[in-house]
Amino acid sequence: MKPAAARLLVGLYPRPWRQRYGEEFETLLLEQSDFLKILVDVAFSAAKERMSPTCGQAVPAAATSFRVVMKMPSAILPLALSLAALSVVLAHAAIFGVTHEKDEGTAAHLWQLLIGGALTVMIFFAAKWMPRATKQALAVLIIVSALMLANFAAVYFLT
Amino acid sequence: MGIEQFSDPPLLVLTSLAGGPKHGHAMIEDIVWLCGNRLGPGTLYGAISRLEQQGLIEPLPPEDRRQPYRLTAAGEHALRAKLNTLKHVTRSGLKRLEAL
Repeated sequence: MKPAAARLLVGLYPRPWRQRYGEEFETLLLEQSDFLKILVDVAFSAAKERMSPTCGQAVPAAATSFRVVMKMPSAILPLALSLAALSVVLAHAAIFGVTHEKDEGTAAHLWQLLIGGALTVMIFFAAKWMPRATKQALAVLIIVSALMLANFAAVYFLT
Repeated sequence: MGIEQFSDPPLLVLTSLAGGPKHGHAMIEDIVWLCGNRLGPGTLYGAISRLEQQGLIEPLPPEDRRQPYRLTAAGEHALRAKLNTLKHVTRSGLKRLEAL
């Protein structure tokens, strides 16, 4: 394997893992051929390491408190996007009244984009934090889910 | 992956290191010799990092850019226990097959 390809594959792992194993792992990769097969193997292993870290990622007890998990960008973003989506529905209802429209307007498309974004980040958050701080992550997910439900209820009853 | 292909990377790494300290490439070749299964480098290092985290293997001073590993006492104990269980399963399984 070429050095550039090996470096690229090492780069898939989180920094603490790279600091501990990066050099020796890169040396091993240089001795391998069949790039595609190795890519699948390494990508799977790197994803596993990111989900369930073996080094340098032991989250300190303080870091697993609900407040800290709640402040993570991947927790704040779906909350912010869901709130923005809810605001769009409420603003639409406030301006145009409670009307059941057949055609989707700009507000509806904006709402779909915001909810889609929130769901995507929410899935990322769940994948990253559920294995590390299950209770705290679950609490965040319940809050985001409640906001999502509020969104769907608002869309159902107000538009 | 067929059922006949043995795949338990941590056990394979421990078994390989029971034969003496080895670096990654040597482990891959030894495991091919042991069971015909060629571990990918990601799978191998996934097992190595978890075994090291559990204190079952430990690194030796690097040779060039290669990093050899060896079994720890806890690793030897864990491997012995696992192999004894496997031996019991193998014996019982073969006995049951004979009775068929």
